Amino acid sequence: MDPIVAALAKAAGLDKALAQFPGDVTAAAEQALNNTGVVKVPTDPAAEPWPPMRAGQGL
Amino acid sequence: MTEPHWLSATEIGQAYADRTLSPVELVAALLARIEKLDPKLNAFIRLDAEGAMRAARQAEAEIAAGQGRGPLHGVPVGIKDIIDVAGLPTTAHSKILLGNIAKADAAVVQKLRSAGAIVMGKLSTHEFAIGGPSFDLPFPPARNPWNRAYHPGGSSSGSGSGVAAGLFPLALGTDTGGSVRNPASACGIVGLKPTYGLVSRRGVFPLSYTLDHVGPLTRTVADCALLLDAMAGHDPADPASVAGSAPYAGRLLDRGVRGLRIGFVRHFHEHDLQASTEVAAALEDVARVLAAEGAQVETATLPSLTEFAGINRVILCGEAWSIHAPWLRERPGDYGQLARRRLLPGAFMTAGDYVGAQRRRSEVIAAVEDCLRAYDVLLCASSMDPASRLDDPDQTAHTYPRQARTPFNVTGHPALATMSGLSSDGLPLSVQFVGRYFDEATVLRVAAAYERATGWHTQKPPAG
Repeated sequence: MDPIVAALAKAAGLDKALAQFPGDVTAAAEQALNNTGVVKVPTDPAAEPWPPMRAGQGL
Repeated sequence: MTEPHWLSATEIGQAYADRTLSPVELVAALLARIEKLDPKLNAFIRLDAEGAMRAARQAEAEIAAGQGRGPLHGVPVGIKDIIDVAGLPTTAHSKILLGNIAKADAAVVQKLRSAGAIVMGKLSTHEFAIGGPSFDLPFPPARNPWNRAYHPGGSSSGSGSGVAAGLFPLALGTDTGGSVRNPASACGIVGLKPTYGLVSRRGVFPLSYTLDHVGPLTRTVADCALLLDAMAGHDPADPASVAGSAPYAGRLLDRGVRGLRIGFVRHFHEHDLQASTEVAAALEDVARVLAAEGAQVETATLPSLTEFAGINRVILCGEAWSIHAPWLRERPGDYGQLARRRLLPGAFMTAGDYVGAQRRRSEVIAAVEDCLRAYDVLLCASSMDPASRLDDPDQTAHTYPRQARTPFNVTGHPALATMSGLSSDGLPLSVQFVGRYFDEATVLRVAAAYERATGWHTQKPPAG
């Protein structure tokens, strides 16, 4: 297993998953990389996330 | 008279009014059908025969006493097993939650009970609405009544299978990346993901807070409107619930489509993904039918499916990880493999990845809003293929992401999937209609016009 993946998994507290299901942990790490790679994050710093904070609304 | 198990909710209400059918007779007929067919379909995780019959007797007495509660009074409904029904387990089809007895009804179940609907029981799903179809879970996966060797779609699998097979006329599902519309597409019925915030999610086990929706699955568009009207409404206990949302979804059902502008998002199934020949031909036919009915159909453009899917997955994985991290750390072996693999990626994404996806989400929402200023409704693919074989995980893994539903979880617009034909293998094909925020009425209007013009809803699977 890639030592970086193993280190990240340990940092996330996934020691048991790492020991019992190393293939699933590796597949998940690859999936995460694939997912984040296709999002065209706005370059304009003023582009805010959705949904915005709305003070005084909600519960 | 139509056999009771194929009656729509609308027809059931009429039969009650005419005294040609009673709630007790209907529930007894459905329980007999469930006993016969469900061992082959696995739509139910937990059938509540006793509770259903008790509710049927109550409905019968109230209707006889002139105390009608409206069009859903005495109409049976199945509930996906991530939605709480008081006194029954909410297992989410997972070993993790076995024995998790719901203390109270979910808000949407409360509303249905107030409307007099009869809860039949809890329905199969993918594990936590994400991990399936799987054979390593405490309950078997639901099967497609058109061909039991095939997947009924998911994650609201039992909802789609049971409605299509005539086990109950109405069901609730949830939709985070297409999980109401996928079973509707695979099983040849109607499934609606309402506008985000229109239907309360209180009492529904979350998968992804900003993508989750609760929606109806039915055999007709009119029933979909009836069920949505009963489900919709402000709930101050759901932080996403929108006050002043529009009810009376069915008010335009008989208006037809003359004069409506419909944007056909062809690039979803022609360029972004290539739909199967039969799906593509059926979509062209939908456009032809609607144009013949008087709509103005033009080609429309949205951001690519690849990007919508990426945004959906980053947000879903981030939010789902925040929910499941404690169990994934301590009980990874209590998940099925598919759920484990689909929930773990959140551990490898950064806060920046999540916020970046939410920032891009604002832009794609704006793009869809721009498009919907030019069109009343969008027409596009739902699934790119008919259902896959249940025993072929490679085929399921190939076809499952080949869909155009996730864009509207990302944007929150209302989206309805319905049947658009049958494949050469006898499996349903599908189409999707998308509308402006809180304009479910126009989406349903288009779907109703298409349903009337084609009659696909009269096709029944061979299972029963």
